Amino acid sequence: MRYFSYIFALLAGAALSFESALYGDLGKSIGELETTFYNFAVGSLILGLIWLFFGKGKLSYTMEAPKWSLIGGILGVVYLLSIVISVPFVGVGITMVAVIIGQIVMSMIIEHFGWLGSAASRINKEKVFAVLSMIIALILINQ
Amino acid sequence: MDILMVLFTLFAGITLSAQSAVNGTFSKGAGTIETALLTFLTGSIFLFIIILFFGEGDLSGIMNAPNWQLSGVFMGVFYLSFTIVAIPRIGVIATNLTTIVGQLVIGLIIDHFGWFGGIQIDLDGPRVLALAFMALALYFIYKGNKKTQTEAVS
Repeated sequence: MRYFSYIFALLAGAALSFESALYGDLGKSIGELETTFYNFAVGSLILGLIWLFFGKGKLSYTMEAPKWSLIGGILGVVYLLSIVISVPFVGVGITMVAVIIGQIVMSMIIEHFGWLGSAASRINKEKVFAVLSMIIALILINQ
Repeated sequence: MDILMVLFTLFAGITLSAQSAVNGTFSKGAGTIETALLTFLTGSIFLFIIILFFGEGDLSGIMNAPNWQLSGVFMGVFYLSFTIVAIPRIGVIATNLTTIVGQLVIGLIIDHFGWFGGIQIDLDGPRVLALAFMALALYFIYKGNKKTQTEAVS
């Protein structure tokens, strides 16, 4: 199952790349915010259908869960808004590098301290090497 | 101004990793599909309000957009659902780092062939080297994760 999770994460990233490539032109013709709204609204409909037929979890948990664990959707929108605002100022390249570095560094902090309900797992040498390798890869891509 | 914007963009990355951690936690109680559904629903509501006040585009243009552009929504659903599956199993760093590798590898391929109407950028020497470093990053994160898990067990 552990290998599968890594493959799932790789596929998730691949999907994200296809998504931004597919939406590139749409954003120019109907607007960035509108494209994002289309994505969230129609995505809700698709997931609503999937949930209706295949949902095995407990949606009513929403009412019992601590309120901070409900902010995932809003965080996603804040992320997209920040990107839409910053790209015209600093360009796509720098935006992507800064986003990825922010994401990796914050992931390290969250996991090390076990914030936001995630399992705490100490930073070790290997994880630091992994992050350094990623930063080198980013520099190579963006030169 | 520019350095301020770069800091602002770093903040965007921070919100994305916070989102994956929050969703991973919520999914333990509610389930994967339910978590993705809630994320998309609350996101839609929040965006709808923002568009009402600040939207300058043309939402009705959706009806005239080509189908291949509209199919991006399935990718959006895949991305969120797969992340929610991975987070509780391999943790926040491994999930986000692996996702980024998947994103960059496909990005390099799309660039190389100039798919989807984007500009074409060759997969040159530095980019191939970048692929090697990403493979190295995956190796290290897998190894690092395994190490902390054995420590936790012993």
